[in-house]
Amino acid sequence: MAHQKENNIKLGAFVLSGLVLMILALFFIGKNQNLFGNEFKLKVRFSNLNGLTEGNNVLFSGLQAGTVKGIELINDSTIEVTMQINSKVKSFINKNALAAIGTEGLMGNKVVNISPVKGFSQKVVEGDILQAKNMANMDEIVEKLSQTNNNVADISEVLKGTVLRIDSSAILKLFNDETIGISLKASLLNVYKTSNNANEMTMALNQIISDIKQGKGTAGLLLRDTALAGTLQDAVVQIKAAGVNASAMTREMNTMIRTINHDVTKGNNAVNTVLKDSLMAKNISLTIENLQHGTDGFNQNMEALKHNFLFRGYFRSLERKKIKEAKGTEKLKLK
Amino acid sequence: METVKSEAVIVIKDLVKAFGDKIILDGFNLTVEKGSNVVILGKSGSGKSVLIKCIIGLLQPDSGSIHVFNGNIPEMNEDELDQARSKIGFLFQSNALYDSMTIRENLEFPLLRHWVDIEKDEVDRLVNGALEDVDLLHTLDMMPSELSGGMLKRVALARTMILRPEVILYDEPTTGLDPVTSREIENLILKLQKKNHTSSIIISHDMNCVKNTADLVVLLLEGKCYAEGTYAELEQSADQNIKQFFE
Amino acid sequence: MTLIVRLKQFLDETGNVARFTGRFFSAGIKPRYESKELLNQCYNIGYLSFPLVGLTSFIMGLVLTMQLRPSLVDYGVESQLPVMVGLAIVREIGPVITALIFAGKIGSSIGAELGSMKVTEQIDAMTVSGIKPFKYLVATRVMATTLMLPLLTILGDGISLFGAYLGVNIRSVTSIDLFFLQVFKSLDFSDVLPAIIKTLFFGFAVGIVGCYKGFNSSKGTQGVGISANSAVVLSSVLIFIIDLLAVQITELLGLN
Repeated sequence: MAHQKENNIKLGAFVLSGLVLMILALFFIGKNQNLFGNEFKLKVRFSNLNGLTEGNNVLFSGLQAGTVKGIELINDSTIEVTMQINSKVKSFINKNALAAIGTEGLMGNKVVNISPVKGFSQKVVEGDILQAKNMANMDEIVEKLSQTNNNVADISEVLKGTVLRIDSSAILKLFNDETIGISLKASLLNVYKTSNNANEMTMALNQIISDIKQGKGTAGLLLRDTALAGTLQDAVVQIKAAGVNASAMTREMNTMIRTINHDVTKGNNAVNTVLKDSLMAKNISLTIENLQHGTDGFNQNMEALKHNFLFRGYFRSLERKKIKEAKGTEKLKLK
Repeated sequence: METVKSEAVIVIKDLVKAFGDKIILDGFNLTVEKGSNVVILGKSGSGKSVLIKCIIGLLQPDSGSIHVFNGNIPEMNEDELDQARSKIGFLFQSNALYDSMTIRENLEFPLLRHWVDIEKDEVDRLVNGALEDVDLLHTLDMMPSELSGGMLKRVALARTMILRPEVILYDEPTTGLDPVTSREIENLILKLQKKNHTSSIIISHDMNCVKNTADLVVLLLEGKCYAEGTYAELEQSADQNIKQFFE
Repeated sequence: MTLIVRLKQFLDETGNVARFTGRFFSAGIKPRYESKELLNQCYNIGYLSFPLVGLTSFIMGLVLTMQLRPSLVDYGVESQLPVMVGLAIVREIGPVITALIFAGKIGSSIGAELGSMKVTEQIDAMTVSGIKPFKYLVATRVMATTLMLPLLTILGDGISLFGAYLGVNIRSVTSIDLFFLQVFKSLDFSDVLPAIIKTLFFGFAVGIVGCYKGFNSSKGTQGVGISANSAVVLSSVLIFIIDLLAVQITELLGLN
């Protein structure tokens, strides 16, 4: 009988632990769905839900703040989304906050992002309708991407021209100062590389854009990856800066040449003096440095892009082609 | 206790039982008088076990009646059967002790079922008494697997007796036991029979057992009651079918 | 010819199992309840199976995680490993693996136990002693398997997830908080409840089949062996069939 009692105790512990685990699991799942919490309702109207469904999460400045409770079609271009928001964040949401539909992670569920807007406003109350920030849809993104691409192509063209101009410029011959000569050469090389890189990027982007247009794969979705977008933006800015710097340098060199020409026509052989003019030299150095900076930044971004998995495929196939070609030439050499 | 006939506790009439095409019992008749030991003799497969399983209601006969005390077993519903069974003991050939229970629990089990309101002290007293009757009080908290065949048979007998049945059905009580143990079991059967004034049907083909226990011997052959008489009477018979059992 | 005979046998068997199940509902559910025996069986069937279920669940969680990792790494979504493993375990692997282990351990033991009770006339002895063996032996066991398997599955799922957590930590690092947060964030009631409800049916199938096979065991040691064996085989197959039905029903109800 004592044995029986002991068994019953063990059984009780077993059953209880199972039930507790079950209840805990349900509670945690319920917590995610805000079934047990204190909450209030907010509404927002969108023209397009992009697949948002009931039960999706609502984030406030990236913080889990609630879930989508209801979706109602109001008219052909308006859909009202009712969100259940945890009361804890209620006092932080202003009436002028914007709500937008976004994606969790790379391929995750849709979410509603509520983001605060600067400027004073009253706090929200139950049932308020927030302003919707309509997310750019796929076509717009592709359009933007094309534009970026064109910009890059234009800039790299300009850069190439500039470099060629500098290269063929008479002034190079005039430099005796070795240090300036070498760093200028290096910069030019860098600019070359930059424009090549820019060309590579344009080609890669073109590939992606055509993929998207043909409806291939999920590449389109992945473009919302903010990291990638940021890198692309930076790259464009930096290549622009490099272009500006390169132009500035040409301008300065042109001035210099004009001065030299002037001196030469005036008959005082003062080329050396001009070149020794510390102010002028400093100016040129600074420009070269700037140019270096710009191109360096751009090249770094290009490296980062190469590792982004969207571009990876493109660059990999490029590399393979190169290796193949190298092998081919080697074979030819052997023959 | 009122009986159908003056002194008969079991009256079987025209009992027929077949399994598929195979007819086991074919119009069997038997009357057991109160206080008597009836031994049913027969070859293996002659339907002896089927007969007593029909009596206790484990098997449903195809036709015929089995009156035990007042009721006709084949026509009873579950509750009536339970009622009747509480007056009938059954000693199984394989003892059928529950191996997952101790000896004490084995004996308590039918008690607690049949007499729902029974006191704890009363249960203990009855269990101890029944085990004392078979000299196995020391095995009270053992498991059936720890006991020998003879001891198991005695425990099974104690379990059968504990409900104070008025009729006991023994299914080959001495089969598989050595002669000495068989004698012990036979003596126990007789002793308890005297003590509790029970009637019984014993199935056996062990002639020693038959000789020692039988008031009446019934020979079951081809599903019918072939011969009936005391051991001495049948022993003298010249009939070939009877003689073969006594050789 | 033999095909027809076999088909007839199969249908006969199916009919008998159905009748047996019907008997459970008509006879087994009525009072009086064998509550003490039910607790006893719950202990035997639930508590004593826990170490085995725990071990297999743990290994399953660990192995599943290690097996899934490479393909997730290939897609660059290694961070989704807890989500994938969590969903797989809770929705399918946990209930089915636990049920199969349960069928192997409990189905065979019920089949063998009732089979040998049948062969040694213990079941008849119960009937004679005024105990309804169907109620005492079958109903208690079927109820115990039905109630205990969901519990075992829940505990097994928990252990499996812990194994998965360790599996994630073999190659990379995650905290137990983050791991379970990710798992629970991806889980929904519609993932957990159908999975738990189907284990009720798994448990019922294991109990009914084990009892049926044992209760109808043929004479002899061989008969007991066959009962135990066929109880495991039939209940394992039934588990998969019920699983198939369950997934279709949840699909129909729109819970998937």
